[in-house]
Amino acid sequence: MSLIAGHLEPYLVLSGLLFSIGAFGFLARRNAISMLMSVELMLNAVNLAAIAFGAFVPELAGEGASFALLVIAVAAAEATVGLAIVIAIYRNRKTPLVDEYDTMRQ
Amino acid sequence: MPLPPTIPFIGLTWADALFLLLGGVVLGAATLVVLGRDIIRNGLFLILSFGALAGIYVILGAAIVAGAQVLVYIGAISVLILFAIMLTQSKAAPAQLTFQTQALPAALAALLLGALFAIALGSTPWGATVFADTPAAGGTSGVAATLFGPWLLAFEAASALILAAVIGGIYLAAKVTDREEEGE
Amino acid sequence: MMPMAEGVQIGLLPGYAPLLLALPLAGFAFTAAVGRRLGKRAHLVPLVAIAAVWLIAMSLALPALTGGLGEGGASLPLFSWIASGDLRFDLGLHVDALTGALLLVVTTVGALVHLYSVGYMAHDDSYWRFFAYLNLFMFSMLLLVLADNLLVIFAAWELVGLSSYLLIGFWYTKRAPGLAAKKAFITNRVGDVGFALGLMGLVAVFGTLDIPTILAGIEGGALAGPAATVIALLVFCGAVGKSAQFPLHVWLPDAMEGPTPVSALIHAATMVNAGVYLVARMSPLFAASHEAMLVVAAIGIFTAIFAASIAFTQTDIKRVLAFSTLSQLGYMFAALGVGAWVPAIFHLITHGFFKGLLFLGSGSVIHAVEGEQEMPKMGGLAPKIPLTYATMLVGTVAIAGLPPLAGFWSKDEILGEAFKFGFAWVWLVGMIVAGMTAFYMFRLMGMTFWGKSRVPEGVHVHESPWTMTLPLVVLAVPSIAIGFLLGYPFADGLLVHGLEPVFHAASAALGHEHEAWTLFGIDGLLMLASVTVAAIGTAIGVRLFRSDHAELLGRVTARLAPLYRGSRGRWFFDDLNDLVFVRFGGRLASALWWFDRRVVDGAVNGVGALASGSGRGLRQIQTGRVQNYALGIAVGLIAMATIFLVTAR
Repeated sequence: MSLIAGHLEPYLVLSGLLFSIGAFGFLARRNAISMLMSVELMLNAVNLAAIAFGAFVPELAGEGASFALLVIAVAAAEATVGLAIVIAIYRNRKTPLVDEYDTMRQ
Repeated sequence: MPLPPTIPFIGLTWADALFLLLGGVVLGAATLVVLGRDIIRNGLFLILSFGALAGIYVILGAAIVAGAQVLVYIGAISVLILFAIMLTQSKAAPAQLTFQTQALPAALAALLLGALFAIALGSTPWGATVFADTPAAGGTSGVAATLFGPWLLAFEAASALILAAVIGGIYLAAKVTDREEEGE
Repeated sequence: MMPMAEGVQIGLLPGYAPLLLALPLAGFAFTAAVGRRLGKRAHLVPLVAIAAVWLIAMSLALPALTGGLGEGGASLPLFSWIASGDLRFDLGLHVDALTGALLLVVTTVGALVHLYSVGYMAHDDSYWRFFAYLNLFMFSMLLLVLADNLLVIFAAWELVGLSSYLLIGFWYTKRAPGLAAKKAFITNRVGDVGFALGLMGLVAVFGTLDIPTILAGIEGGALAGPAATVIALLVFCGAVGKSAQFPLHVWLPDAMEGPTPVSALIHAATMVNAGVYLVARMSPLFAASHEAMLVVAAIGIFTAIFAASIAFTQTDIKRVLAFSTLSQLGYMFAALGVGAWVPAIFHLITHGFFKGLLFLGSGSVIHAVEGEQEMPKMGGLAPKIPLTYATMLVGTVAIAGLPPLAGFWSKDEILGEAFKFGFAWVWLVGMIVAGMTAFYMFRLMGMTFWGKSRVPEGVHVHESPWTMTLPLVVLAVPSIAIGFLLGYPFADGLLVHGLEPVFHAASAALGHEHEAWTLFGIDGLLMLASVTVAAIGTAIGVRLFRSDHAELLGRVTARLAPLYRGSRGRWFFDDLNDLVFVRFGGRLASALWWFDRRVVDGAVNGVGALASGSGRGLRQIQTGRVQNYALGIAVGLIAMATIFLVTAR
């Protein structure tokens, strides 16, 4: 009798922890690309949660995984554009560090 | 010879052990991604994390998503990230601070966020079924039925989004001279 | 225009009556505009204007006094000044016997002062400005006397105050006249506050300030009891200020900083009588309240003795006359207060003439000794300026109340009626003041004209030109004769009959019967008493000051040293004012200014500082860094989720 893998909660806990780690990385790292990697972690956490729900909750039979697929597509698009922007800014500012990107400060 | 139902000496089922192992790898790799100093090493740990996550998807019976995870995340996004790292490297990188001044409040916020998740997720009755071993596999036909059925619009919109992203990416990342020649 | 009482008709003034106002106003405007260019001829237009005014005034006043205009007088509505909803204030002219009396004094003395000023101000650079102001003053005073609406009277009241301010401060380049002018104006203003409040009370009760309407209403009993007392006293405030009664008397002695013709005209014969005129005109209002009458009488007689005691020790010739004016005005108010309406007006007339004479005479003396006003530096002038001396002697005898000159008639009537109406204390104090008056006036004569000359070396004492001495001679005539002309027979003379319709209602309200005058009864005794007192005062004054009795004077002064000091210091009332209002008030004002600066402005500025300070603080949040904003979002999200979790339990 599986105590962990057969229940929903562990997967959700894993998803929550992964999201928190991603949130910390997003708020605390200086490099823009590190921030983007943290965003990917957060998106993956969401994916995990969605798939877990899709597997364990009968009403959401195929929707969990479909949702995850679409999220992957969106994440890919977002990563593309985001990295393109970072590269463009890098060309201007010569630095990938986000605390240098503060021309909008008061 | 068939495998014993539980792992000897430990008493966990194989599924549990696999889940713990893969889960550990995911979290460990993720931690190293956000805490590491060298950014290329972070990228590689990210790939590791994605891989382990794909394994968990298989456990959950969503094989197609696991495949997409590997193909897209590891095969495309992570490669893209590594390319971008290479293009934005600066010589002074090793000497600079890794963390922001607000790292401590950020850690606190992340911790609280995790706590909130734990409370919220743990105290909600999801009405979830409990499986003896692992969730049923083969949800691919269900995915196809959903994606090309009720969620067709979302599917098509996602493809349009990807097209827009590609065009945008090309435009934004093109060399400055090319863009200036095109006119403001 | 409503009739004053049942069946009393009011006639119509002739159409040229408004010239009384138009001519002086035109004279003022003309001289103000082009006077500077006319140089020494600037007096011509004003002088002709005033002469014409005198003729017109006499043509109206003489019939008014002798009953030729009918019982109710005559009036001429001019135009509607303010018409707003229920409030209506019209400007119109009204001449009755009371107006006639005032016109007589105002225009005669006014015309003579204009003539006198030609000589007195001949060496002044601002010659034209003086005459312009004189005409402005005449306009204001005539408007005050002729108006039949209290609001117009109030406006004229202020105009007269303005003219007085301009004329007192005529030599504004010097410090003292400017200060004196301000003092006069401000002190007047204090009284005017009460006057304005009284007017508001009248509007509240009657809905209008038209005098005949108000007087008819009061006779009909519309205003009585405490309301009447309050309104009467408030109106009296204005009179106290304008006629310089205690405690608003402080401005009159200082007003002597102005040129002597100004002192003669404004502060002896005309402006200061405005208060007396006001109370007399509103006699039914005062008669409706015994308390108010008592206050009027008390203040009047107190001022009389207060001012007389100060006049004992003053050394400036004009200041002695100023305090004398205060004292005589006190007599008039005392008369009004006891209900002796006709004697009050009688004294107003006689005083106007002989005080005007005395002031103009003093101006002639000052002119003779080339500007010196202090009597210790005069003396022995009688043989050198005989005409001035003779006329001033006439004036002095008149004011002392020695028969048969004018002052005796009016003063005796005041004192007599005071006693007969039951105000024995007023009579007693009045007698003492009569003696004091005789004393200090002969002191003035002695120090100025008799004894050895104390004039400094090099001063060439000379008689004044005819433009100055002619008015003196002209004024001496009524000072001698007008008492007899208006007052004989006793209590039955011309003035009594002329003014009887005016004061009929007030006397009836007070219950005063018109008694016959008995020579061998109470009236004769009172007359003997007043003549005796005047004679005693004269005798003492002449004895002490006839020649230089410096040693005798010194002994007397030493014996009465504290009284002497107090009198010399005007009983320190100016110092009291200074202490309370200037010093203490100044400190209070400083404290309030501190409060205004620190607290009020501080609060306002504080709000501004708070806004900019908080802005500066809040601006720190806009770092321009996305991660900081993201942290903010995370924190907000955590907070909201926590609250939701907690409250949703």
